[in-house]
Amino acid sequence: MRERRSIIISALVTIAFAGVPFFLNVDTSYFAYYLFLSFCHIVIAQGWNFVAGYTGQISLCQNAFFGLGAYTTALIWLHDVTKTGYYFDPVVMVLSGLVPVILAVIIGIPLLSRLRGDYFALGTLGVQFIIQVLFLKGGAFTRGADGLHLPSTVFESMKPYYWTGLFLALFATAVVYFLIKSRAGLALRAIREDEISAAAHGIHVLKYKIFAFAVGAFLAGICGSLYAWYLFHINPDSVLNLNWLFYPILICVLGGNGTITGPIIGAFFITALFSLGTVYMAQTHPILSGALIIFVMKFMPTGLVGLKDRILSRG
Amino acid sequence: MDVLYGDVQVIWDVSIHVEEGTIVALVGANGAGKTTLLKTISGIIHAKRGEILFSGKSLTRLKPQEVVDIGISHVPEGRRLFSNLTVLENLKLGAYPSRARPLFAESLERAFSLFPVLKARKGQKAGSLSGGERQMLAIARAIMAHPDILMLDEPSLGLSPIFVKTIFELIYALNKQKVTILLVEQNIHQALKIAYQAYVLKTGKIAISGGGDELLADPEVQKAYIGERWSKR
Amino acid sequence: MLEYLTFGLITQLFVNGILFGTMYGIAAIGLSLIFGTMRIIFLAQGAMIVFFAYISYWLFTLLGVDPYLSLIFVVPLSLLLGSGFYSSLFKEAAALEDKNISLLIAIGLMFLVENLMTVVWTANPRSILTTYSSFVFRPIGIIIPFTRLIALLMAVLSASGVLLFLKKTLIGMAVRAASEDMESATLMGINPHWVNVVAFSIGIGLAGIAGVGLATIYSFDPMYGFIFAIKALIALAFGGMGNVFGALLGGIILGLLESWASFFIGAGWADAISYAVFLIMLMLKPEGLFVRSVQTA
Repeated sequence: MRERRSIIISALVTIAFAGVPFFLNVDTSYFAYYLFLSFCHIVIAQGWNFVAGYTGQISLCQNAFFGLGAYTTALIWLHDVTKTGYYFDPVVMVLSGLVPVILAVIIGIPLLSRLRGDYFALGTLGVQFIIQVLFLKGGAFTRGADGLHLPSTVFESMKPYYWTGLFLALFATAVVYFLIKSRAGLALRAIREDEISAAAHGIHVLKYKIFAFAVGAFLAGICGSLYAWYLFHINPDSVLNLNWLFYPILICVLGGNGTITGPIIGAFFITALFSLGTVYMAQTHPILSGALIIFVMKFMPTGLVGLKDRILSRG
Repeated sequence: MDVLYGDVQVIWDVSIHVEEGTIVALVGANGAGKTTLLKTISGIIHAKRGEILFSGKSLTRLKPQEVVDIGISHVPEGRRLFSNLTVLENLKLGAYPSRARPLFAESLERAFSLFPVLKARKGQKAGSLSGGERQMLAIARAIMAHPDILMLDEPSLGLSPIFVKTIFELIYALNKQKVTILLVEQNIHQALKIAYQAYVLKTGKIAISGGGDELLADPEVQKAYIGERWSKR
Repeated sequence: MLEYLTFGLITQLFVNGILFGTMYGIAAIGLSLIFGTMRIIFLAQGAMIVFFAYISYWLFTLLGVDPYLSLIFVVPLSLLLGSGFYSSLFKEAAALEDKNISLLIAIGLMFLVENLMTVVWTANPRSILTTYSSFVFRPIGIIIPFTRLIALLMAVLSASGVLLFLKKTLIGMAVRAASEDMESATLMGINPHWVNVVAFSIGIGLAGIAGVGLATIYSFDPMYGFIFAIKALIALAFGGMGNVFGALLGGIILGLLESWASFFIGAGWADAISYAVFLIMLMLKPEGLFVRSVQTA
């Protein structure tokens, strides 16, 4: 019963969001931009949430996956690989999601089979840096620090961006939701709780870890793809930016690691915080991000979502 | 001294009493909860229910380092020496608690006289010692803290029969020097031989208790844990 | 190109590597201490180093204090900050099984400090230029900048200091024991929080020294810390995650690696190689290159 209620609520919320462009001028409204940005954050945060929140593997290379997705999209577009002429071609997006997946599997196998917990996190950090260098040194293919430019002539309005963003956010949440409910999700949670006993129960730990890692990579990749069309200018600074690494972490940590709604709430909250921050407190707002992580980890490790539960159980 | 205990998930309503100056043995099969009991006394684990009393003072909520300060030393299962440190350094660390530091020179002398082989190897890294030597170092290290009670968890584990005999002679000698001993052992025969009082633990509960000699002769104990009668000496 | 490989060049590259590497080494020793006792990967170490560099910069530009003299202020400050950070941030987290939480707190601190620095000092690079900044020794034609040499000296001195502390003092022994087996250490009467505070404070103290060294050698900006932390981690991986002396050597090895690779392949690729080697080390030999295997007692 509760599930049906949540689904109904989610459907209503989605419809409400979908209706926004009819009331606001999406191209000029800052609020609409804020929503769009939040949707992007939701996508990449759900990805991280799945890897780290549900499986307990802290991945510090999400921005590399994001950047890979962006670059893939740009390259496909520039070299006219798919011969389609319009934005948000799902094929391109899926491809942009798959390339990071390939990387995830390639590095996941050695990393995940040998490294535990924070060692794994370190390994992913190293990977992320290597990717950065590779992009910088990619020669004519990636055009180094200058990067790739997508033609902005086709840009008409923000509306498709908005709806695609909303769709992707919904998609990401749904993917994570159904995966959690599935056998795979159960296996992953077992692994997070107690790896050894999970293995003793016949769960192929490595396979599932790589799977989770790949899902996180895919989601980050398609988000990168979407953002590439928004940004038009793809270079290491803009898409491999460490912000894309830390925001998902912050969002999940604040919203609630290992929950479905946590990243969503977190995304809206954090995006709002930083959007307002750039407007009103341009200088100081980044300090908040650090302070927030510390604060949350110390006092609310279950995040905002968990806080609600705790308040309810007190009363 | 009274040591009372309550139930932990592994230990159900266990009560033991250790009289000053005696040797008390805790025997039982693997997994019976003996190590858990010792760990609870030394503060590594917290009991869900029950009390630990030492000369009238309650130890129940203390941290391990505080328990040592009060005068109870624990030699854990598997010895757990600091293998990267030398023998002498291990011994120095044994005398870390404030009650033991002024007595350091004296304690060191005592340790070396009880365990002469340690004196010979004092500059060596603990990890390079043989099994029997390590056990001796572990015990020596624990007595550097000048404890009133020494708790030993399976001191004979993994040792050759000769060493086992040596260890038990040492335990006996220590007791003669006024150290109260709480001994957890799988080697039931040896343990019961030197124990004044013994408790048999079975899946977290006390099955039998009584004097060492009593239990040694008790056919119940023999049957349950050895499988056949053993001849007396 | 190989015809340029004169003896002088080889030695210069070698010397550069060592001078460079000791900086990484100092950062790594701090990390090693913190990791050894608390099993926390303190990613914020780089940010702290840059922070102290800024403090030194401030003392220089506002009060005219020579950076080397500023050590008198910086070192106690860093020790204080270290114990403060531990008590307020890491004390509970250190006891947890789940090391991810402390990792995230370290990341949060890094963010906080980096952004704080950006606010206070802006993102423009700063540097300290003193009368001796460009002074250079030239023994047998090899260039050894004065400031780098002093930094090397500071590194070696502080490393030796830490090692002496660990070997000769009772608390130092306690730290070593706790790094090996915290539980047994508590059975010796050692208070884990004490040990942790000491280790953490020394770690940050070393960051302070490294910061002053950094300030005299380079121009720095707030974001430099992150890269530095990564390099320190790589050095740590070379040296062995809990091995203090190995950390210094690891830093030197990294310095040498970078020095040679930069020359032959170019700075960008040199970085990639460092990271690649880092990954390989992590996966194949996390105890580092210097550990003779010791059986656990």
